[in-house]
Amino acid sequence: MNTNFKSWPILLALGLTSVPLVTMYAYMIIDTVTVSPPGSFIPNGISFGSWSFLWEAPAPGRPSIWSVTLNTFIFACVSTLMALSVSLTGGYALSRLHLPFRGFFLGGLIVLHAFPTITLIIAIFLILQMVGLYDTLAGVILVKAALEIPFGVWIMKGFYDTVPWEIEMAGLTDGATRFTVWRKLVLPQVQPGITALGIFAFLSGWSEFILPQVLAPGADAQVLGVYLQSLISDDTSMDFAKFKSVGVFYAIPVILIYILFNKHLMNIYGGGTKG
Amino acid sequence: MRIELKNFKKTFGDITVIEDMSLSLESGEMLALLGPSGCGKSTTLFAICGIHRMTGGQLLFGDRDVTLVPSQQRNVGVVFQNYALYPHMNAYENIAFPLMIRKEDRKTIEKKVSEIAALVHIGELMERKPAQLSGGQQQRVALARALVREPDILLLDEPLANLDAKLRLEMRSEIRRIQQQTGITAILVTHDQVEAMSMCDRIAIMNKGDIVQLSSPQDMYQNPNSEFVASFLGNPPIAFLDGVVTDGGVQLASSEALLPLRGQHGLPSSGMPIRLGIRPEHFQPENPLKVTGRISFVETQGREELYDVTLSNGSVLRSIQRQGGGYHLGDEVSWGIAENQILAFDASGARLHMGALA
Amino acid sequence: MRRTDLFGLGFMAPALILTIMFFLAPVVMTGVYSFTNMSTATGISGGAYLISPATIRSLTEQGFQGDAIERLSSESYVVDEAGLEAAEAAGYTPRFIAEIRSTLLGDTFTGRRDFERALKDLSHRPRSIRDLKKATELFQKSVLNVRFETEADFQSALSSLNLNLSPAEAVFLTETAYTGWIWTSANYDRAVNLPSTYRATANSAIYVTFTLAFNVGFGLFLAITTFYLPSGQAAFFRTIWFLPRILPPVLYVLMWKWLTWDTGFLSTLLSHFGVPPHNLMKHTATHAWVVVVLINGFVGASMGMILFSSAIRSIPQSMLHASEVDGANRWQQVRYIILPQLRWPILFTTAYQTLSLLTSFEYILLSTNGGPGSATNVWALYAFKIALNNYGGNLEYGYGAALAMVLVIIGIIASLFYLRLFNFKSMITSPRIEQ
Ligand SMILES: Nc1ncnc2c1ncn2[C@@H]1O[C@H](COP(=O)(O)OP(=O)(O)OP(=O)(O)O)[C@@H](O)[C@H]1O
Ligand SMILES: [Mg+2]
Repeated sequence: MNTNFKSWPILLALGLTSVPLVTMYAYMIIDTVTVSPPGSFIPNGISFGSWSFLWEAPAPGRPSIWSVTLNTFIFACVSTLMALSVSLTGGYALSRLHLPFRGFFLGGLIVLHAFPTITLIIAIFLILQMVGLYDTLAGVILVKAALEIPFGVWIMKGFYDTVPWEIEMAGLTDGATRFTVWRKLVLPQVQPGITALGIFAFLSGWSEFILPQVLAPGADAQVLGVYLQSLISDDTSMDFAKFKSVGVFYAIPVILIYILFNKHLMNIYGGGTKG
Repeated sequence: MRIELKNFKKTFGDITVIEDMSLSLESGEMLALLGPSGCGKSTTLFAICGIHRMTGGQLLFGDRDVTLVPSQQRNVGVVFQNYALYPHMNAYENIAFPLMIRKEDRKTIEKKVSEIAALVHIGELMERKPAQLSGGQQQRVALARALVREPDILLLDEPLANLDAKLRLEMRSEIRRIQQQTGITAILVTHDQVEAMSMCDRIAIMNKGDIVQLSSPQDMYQNPNSEFVASFLGNPPIAFLDGVVTDGGVQLASSEALLPLRGQHGLPSSGMPIRLGIRPEHFQPENPLKVTGRISFVETQGREELYDVTLSNGSVLRSIQRQGGGYHLGDEVSWGIAENQILAFDASGARLHMGALA
Repeated sequence: MRRTDLFGLGFMAPALILTIMFFLAPVVMTGVYSFTNMSTATGISGGAYLISPATIRSLTEQGFQGDAIERLSSESYVVDEAGLEAAEAAGYTPRFIAEIRSTLLGDTFTGRRDFERALKDLSHRPRSIRDLKKATELFQKSVLNVRFETEADFQSALSSLNLNLSPAEAVFLTETAYTGWIWTSANYDRAVNLPSTYRATANSAIYVTFTLAFNVGFGLFLAITTFYLPSGQAAFFRTIWFLPRILPPVLYVLMWKWLTWDTGFLSTLLSHFGVPPHNLMKHTATHAWVVVVLINGFVGASMGMILFSSAIRSIPQSMLHASEVDGANRWQQVRYIILPQLRWPILFTTAYQTLSLLTSFEYILLSTNGGPGSATNVWALYAFKIALNNYGGNLEYGYGAALAMVLVIIGIIASLFYLRLFNFKSMITSPRIEQ
């Protein structure tokens, strides 16, 4: 970047502070495919034994990894689709349409956007019990999608705001209905927003732990986060290689998404205020 | 198609933008809406195409009352100032969009699009996205899209504002050619008076939400009915002299000089303030009614030269002359006004019609 | 309402409905629940009236006289007209009933066996022993371990016991016997009086202060250092530090467990130097805090890194070059050119993260779970554990809601403050298409 200054002191400082993380990443992978003698971290053999959870029948009382993965996938995808579609319509309404109490909705959106949703989990738990959605995948999906909405509507409103009014006006005078204008002319303009929000919501759903743990703890609705955590907390042998294999399996989609979309990710994690 | 706008009123919340405006266009006519920024030109246009609701008044297309008809059913083609092309569609899809919405069959669409593309000379650009087109090309695509479904009325909101000088000149005649070829009734919004004068059959000059004068370009230039219109038309602009009517003519403000407008009848009675408008082409060395001043500014405009002459009372007159007069900055000159071309206005800016001597 | 308004509302409706269901309703309900004593024991729907041995114990503690306690806790059978009518209704033969009336009417038995024996002696008794046992129940006058679905049933059962209670005692008895939840403000009293509340408050303060300082400080360090590196190297380090943010929390904390547990990396490494292995996550409070702050800090620093990096990139290059020409060294450049430009992003990060740290507990739950003891039990985790994750078994929803309510109120106030921060007026421009 800058030729007037030496860069090696910086490299040294950054390198040293990064040692813990790099070690953790490296052994995350190494431990899943090697064996090391006790008391040492230098592998002396290759072994894929810790990956046996992929093909072996699960321990009694534990669901199969594949049904858990399917649950996680359904959870992440459906909640993303819901959050996306609701944000797409809601953001458009707030950005462009006539609404009674428009100012009130906008103010409410900003307040909700900043509001820490996790504080509501106790009440949500009780509400789900009362409406009978407790311990169902549908229930957690609904909650997860709903909690993403203020953020999603906010982001999408921002994208809609940048679409020129004249495009919509032209569409109307060309004979299209307001709905067609939205669907055919405006949505294509906010494509980057859809991608960004979609990736964000998928990652957030895929990684989710507390909501499924609290709202759907049963084996039928278990997701990977809950599965891995229960594996760790139930196991007395501290078989880190096994945990890590499950962990790496769990992280594959995240890493893929990072590699494919890392520009989008930096933007949405930096631009939005999502913690 | 005739357009008639009666007692149009438009408010945004508490802000009244247009109080009471009436306007009518003959079928096949092209009218310019000319006026300074913020005077309500776009607002009028949006009311005609139905994007804005009219607060009051009535709008007729031919005999049909369309006041409450939504945009989609008005069959009005609009070219927006920034063209509003759909960025995700290529030129062909852009032009075909209105036809697709009408669910016309593919063959018909292809035929109509290629016809209109030929008309606006963009036949070879159909595969390009708007971002890959130059300003002038985008403008033609927008025009084609507005025209392709054979609208009854064509509205153009400052269609040339974003083009460079040369292209603007070219597109001016192009748009006029297409309008005359299709015989469509059109309204051109602009704040460029040259554009209005060169392209349109009639001009409506607007000021603060009101039409202050509506007539042909020639008439508008020669016979402005107010000081505002006179100052709005003409480039370089008209210059004004303030004065008071006396028996012998007009006594210029804070000066001894007296303009002896002897032969004019229709001058107001003595003692009334008056403003005289003199266009640069009517202030020339050879004219008889002399005033004296010092050349305070010289601008060379290629073929012609523009001089500002500051009189002893501080007023400035402009003169435009052929190259080669040999005048320099700071020269004291005594040039003449073409007496029968003076435009006189009263204190409120209204035109005073003085009979010419001739 | 105009047609255009309806169209807008239609677009808004899905967002509105979900928001009302999962934001508005929970906020209101948190407040409502916080004024109840709901727990696993009371259930969340209504309850019944039941005198159990536990009820008897608390009555004794309240100083009920021995007589009343005796009657409440004893079994007794009284042969009276009411019992005979019930027997008739239950389909016992008239001869049997007549025989009971003539021989036993008015008698009282204190044990089931005695009463059964007396019935067995009757000549017209039913054949099956089961029917006989059933018949005894019709004359039972005790209330112990009997569930009454309504208060009226409960009161009539009590009145047949002739307890001679004072009105205050009667009310207390009914309240103690009720198994459902009730309205109460005791949760807030309890929160104010329990030392663990103050402990949680102090923990939250420690947590937010240290984590925030780490996040902002380290975020600045990352942003500035990567700014001075060639773009390839910078991207490498940014990736390393960005990953914790997108990795699933369970997995990310697993890596830390591997690093810090007694069977993990650090302990094994240190054992070569004669240090005995410790679970550093839970060894001492200090160890636990260091780990908690680092776990959260490594995640939080990336937010600062991204925000600060883009702010630094927007500083005009010419300004930096000029300062170099003026002879500024790197430290001076950072101090006088870069840092002043970061004032607003730092303020924003601080404001935003204060609120989110105050209410978040996921990484602590997964790592130390508040331990050792309650050394790292922050307020949000405290509320969560009381209401939803308590190994003792009794989840106290009402009390947890009261604790969460404090956070909800802080959240609302902070978000309203946000509303002021944004230039709200400028956002409510009305739509330009009017149809
Ligand atoms: N939605 C609105 N709310 C309030 N005032 C408005 C609105 N739209 C336009 N105006 C006001 O109405 C007046 C006329 O606006 P309009 O856009 O018609 O001007 P214009 O003549 O087209 O100007 P320009 O040449 O700059 O395009 C302006 O003063 C403008 O501020
Ligand atoms: Mg305009």
